Amino acid sequence: MISTLKTLKLKKLLEERVFTLGVTLLILIVICAILWPTKFPTFSNLSLVLLNLSIETIVAVGMMILLISGVFDLSVGSVVAFSGGVAAYLMAYQDMNPLLAASIGMLSAVLIGLINGLLIAKAGINPLIQTLAMMGIVRGLALMISGGGIQDLPAGFNAFGQAKILGFQSPVWIMLLVVSVFSFLVYKKVFFKNYFYIGGNEKAAFLSGIKVEKMRIISFVMSASFAGFAGILLTARMGAAIGTTGQGMELRVITAAILGGASLLGGEGRIIGAMLGAIFMGLVSNVMIMARVTGYWQEIILGLILIVVVWIDIFLKRRSEINAVEYAKKAIGVKK
Amino acid sequence: MPENSYPLLQLSSISKYFPGVKALDKVDLELRTGEVHAICGENGAGKSTLMKILTGVYTPDEGQVFIEGKDTKLTDYSSAIRQGIAIVHQEKSLCSNMTLAENIFTKPPTNRFGLIDYRQLTSRSERILERVGLARFSPNTKLHQLSAGEQQMIELGKAIASQPKILILDEPTASVTDTEVNIIFDLIDELRSKGTSVFYISHRMAEIFHVSDRISVLKDGQYQGTVNTFEVDVDMIIKMMVGRELLTPDLTRTWIDEQLFEIKDFCGDHFSDIDLSIKKGEIVGLSGLVGAGRTELAKTIMGALPKHTGIAKLMGKEVVVDHPAEAWRYGIGYLPEDRKHEGLFLEMSVRDNMLTARHQYVGNDLTVENIKSVCLDMVDKLNITPGDISRKVVNLSGGNQQKVLISRCLLTQPKLLIVDEPTHGVDIGAKSEIYEILRSLTKEGVGILLISSELPEVIALCDRIYVMCQGQLTAELKKNEDDYSEENILSYASGTKNMFNHSETPV
Repeated sequence: MISTLKTLKLKKLLEERVFTLGVTLLILIVICAILWPTKFPTFSNLSLVLLNLSIETIVAVGMMILLISGVFDLSVGSVVAFSGGVAAYLMAYQDMNPLLAASIGMLSAVLIGLINGLLIAKAGINPLIQTLAMMGIVRGLALMISGGGIQDLPAGFNAFGQAKILGFQSPVWIMLLVVSVFSFLVYKKVFFKNYFYIGGNEKAAFLSGIKVEKMRIISFVMSASFAGFAGILLTARMGAAIGTTGQGMELRVITAAILGGASLLGGEGRIIGAMLGAIFMGLVSNVMIMARVTGYWQEIILGLILIVVVWIDIFLKRRSEINAVEYAKKAIGVKK
Repeated sequence: MPENSYPLLQLSSISKYFPGVKALDKVDLELRTGEVHAICGENGAGKSTLMKILTGVYTPDEGQVFIEGKDTKLTDYSSAIRQGIAIVHQEKSLCSNMTLAENIFTKPPTNRFGLIDYRQLTSRSERILERVGLARFSPNTKLHQLSAGEQQMIELGKAIASQPKILILDEPTASVTDTEVNIIFDLIDELRSKGTSVFYISHRMAEIFHVSDRISVLKDGQYQGTVNTFEVDVDMIIKMMVGRELLTPDLTRTWIDEQLFEIKDFCGDHFSDIDLSIKKGEIVGLSGLVGAGRTELAKTIMGALPKHTGIAKLMGKEVVVDHPAEAWRYGIGYLPEDRKHEGLFLEMSVRDNMLTARHQYVGNDLTVENIKSVCLDMVDKLNITPGDISRKVVNLSGGNQQKVLISRCLLTQPKLLIVDEPTHGVDIGAKSEIYEILRSLTKEGVGILLISSELPEVIALCDRIYVMCQGQLTAELKKNEDDYSEENILSYASGTKNMFNHSETPV
C-alpha cells in the first residue's frame, strides 16, 4: 500500500514540468562540469549565462500569465525596443530626468498593452492577429525613434542596469525578484487564479462570475508592462537603445514558457517554470558555444529540444489517461 | 416485417469504461437486414456510447462486433463507412460555409483525371435533395441559408448518400417540423423496403412505436432485452427503461408565503414578456420543448445574456444584473445546462472547481486548512466519490461532476438557485441524490428554479410549473390545484393550449 502511494506520488511528480525540467537542468549542469571542469563551473561563466537570460525571463513572466489564460502576445519583442527607445530618446535629446524618462517609457508600453487588450477583449480581434499587427507597428515606431541607436545616456541611468551586487549584475537580481514575487502572487492570489479558470474553460469562468473581459485587458497590459520594463532595463544595461533589439524575442520567450510547462491551450503553467525554461535555453547555448558548435546548429538543436519535450509530455499524459481507465475498472471491480 | 432474415450485425458482450464510469456493460445486440430497430433508454443509459462504438469513434474495451458473421474491428469513422455504417448525429457534422452538394458528398465524384466532376456532383445532389424533401434548394446553396430543421435533413441526406447497409438515426426528429418528421418516416420506409437496416434512437415513444419493428432497451449501460414492437406497449418499455418506480413525489410543502424573487416584463433575444415569481423554499419548474427559450431566460437572469426590457426583484428590492458576477454577489447561483462546456474546468481539481464562484467575492479569506475543510465538508454532504479533492474532475463520473457543480453553488450560500437540466447524463442513483439535495435546500428557505426536459422529474419535484413555448409563457400550474399530468404540460409546451391567451384568462 505504502509503495503504491509512493509510486503514485512519483508519477505525479513526473508529470510536473517544473520538477522534470529542474532535474534535467541539474543533470545537464553536472555533465557540463565534468566535461569542461575549468571553463563551465566558474562564477564568471554562470553569472554571464544568468545575465544573458535575465531580460527574456522578465518578459516571460508576463507571457506565462497570458499562456495560462490561453492566449499569447507576439508584440513583446517590439515593445522591448520601443520603451527603451522612448526613454533613451527623452534622456539623450530632451535632457529629461532619467526617472521621468523611464516612467514615460513604461507608460508607452502600458498604452500598447491597453490597445492590445481592448481590441482583443472588447472588439473580439483574435490575439494572434492583433499582437502580430502590433508587433509590426511598434517595431516601426521603435526604429523611427532610435534609428541606428541612441548612445551617451546618463551614467546614473546606466548604473540601473550595470551595477554589481554580490558579483551579479543588477538585471539578475531584478529577474530573481520579479520571478519570486510573481511566483508567490500567482500561487496565492485569487486574482491570478482566475487566469487558470479562464484558460481552463472561458465560458464556465464567465458563468461563475469571473469578469473575463476585464481580466484579459489587464493581462495584456501586464505583458506589455513586463516587456516595457525589460526594455528599459536592457537599454540601461547596454548603455544604448537600438531599434532592432528584441527581434525574435517573442518566440524565444514563448519557447521558454512552454519548456517550463505552459500549454497553448491554457490552464497550465507556473512562473518559476518560465525561468527554468529560460535557464535551460541559456545553458544549452552556453554548452554549444563551449563545444564550438556553430550558431546555426544552436537554432536547430533548440527547435528539436522543444519538439521532444512537448512530445514526451503528450506521451506521459496519454499514459496517465490509460492508467485512469485501469483505475476506474479496478474501482468498479472488473475482473480481467 | 422480415422475420427470418439473418443478423446483419451482431454485438457480443460489448463493454466500455470511462474514468469513473462503466458506460456499457456486456451489451449484446442483434440487427437484422431490413429492420428498423429502436434503442430506448434514459439519458446516460449508454445509447450514444453504443452508437459511437458502431461508428468507430470509440473502440470497445471488451467484446466483439460481427458484421454479416465476420468479426470486425471498427477503428475509426472511415472504417465504419467502409463497412456500410452511416450515422445521423445529434450534433452537427456539417460545414456551414460550404454548399449543400459539398456537404452531402464529402468525397465528391471525380472524373478519370482525379478531378472533381461538378456536373455529376450537382445531379447526384439534386436526387438526394429530392429524397429528403428539399428539392426547392439548389445544390449550390450555402448551408447556412437553411433553417436548423432543414440542416438536419441535409445531415440525413449526407448519410443516405453513402448508400449504407446500416443507418443510425440519433434523435433525428429533435429539431425538425412535423412535415419533416413525415418525410423522415417515408424515407425510413423506403430504406427498409430496399433492405437497409436502421437503428432508431429517440426519446419520443410515439415515434418509436410508429416506425420500429423491434425495440431494445438499455439501462445504466446494461442490455435489458429486445422485444417485437407489436407485442408491447409504452408502459412496458418504460418499465424496462426505468426498472423501478423512479420517484415518490415528496408532498411536504416547504415553501412559505413570502416572495423571494420575481421578474416582470422580461424580454430578450429569444423570449418576451416573461413574468414569474418564486417564493422562499419553493421549487418552481420551467418546462418546455427544446428551443422554447428556457436556458436563454435563465442566462438572462444571470446577466450572461443581454436583456432588452424588464426588472428583477430579489426579496422586494430591485436588482440590476448585467454580469454573472453580480448575480452571484446577490445570492443567485446557476448550474449550467452543458456541464462540460459551460460548467467544469475539466483539467482542474475538484477543489478548484468547487471554489470558483466563492473565490470571486469572498476573496482570500480562506486559508489553506479552511479551504480543505470547506471542500471536504461538501464531499461529505453531497456524497461525492472518490472523496479526493485534489483529483481532476475529468476523472469523475457524470453524477459526481454534477455534484461538484452543485457544491460550487452551495459554497456561495445562494438565496436563489437556477438549475438547468441538473440530472442530464447522470446515473439513476446520483439522480435521486440530486433530488434530495434540492429538496433539503428548500427547507433552508432557498428558492429553486428548475429547468428540465424530463417531465416526470418536473412533476415530482416542483411546487409550481411554468410552461414556455417559443419564447412565451403559456401556463402556470400549481401542484394539487391544476392538472399536473404530462399530457397537459405537453399541450401547453407545444402551444396547442395557452393559459395566457386574452380570450381565456384576463392578464
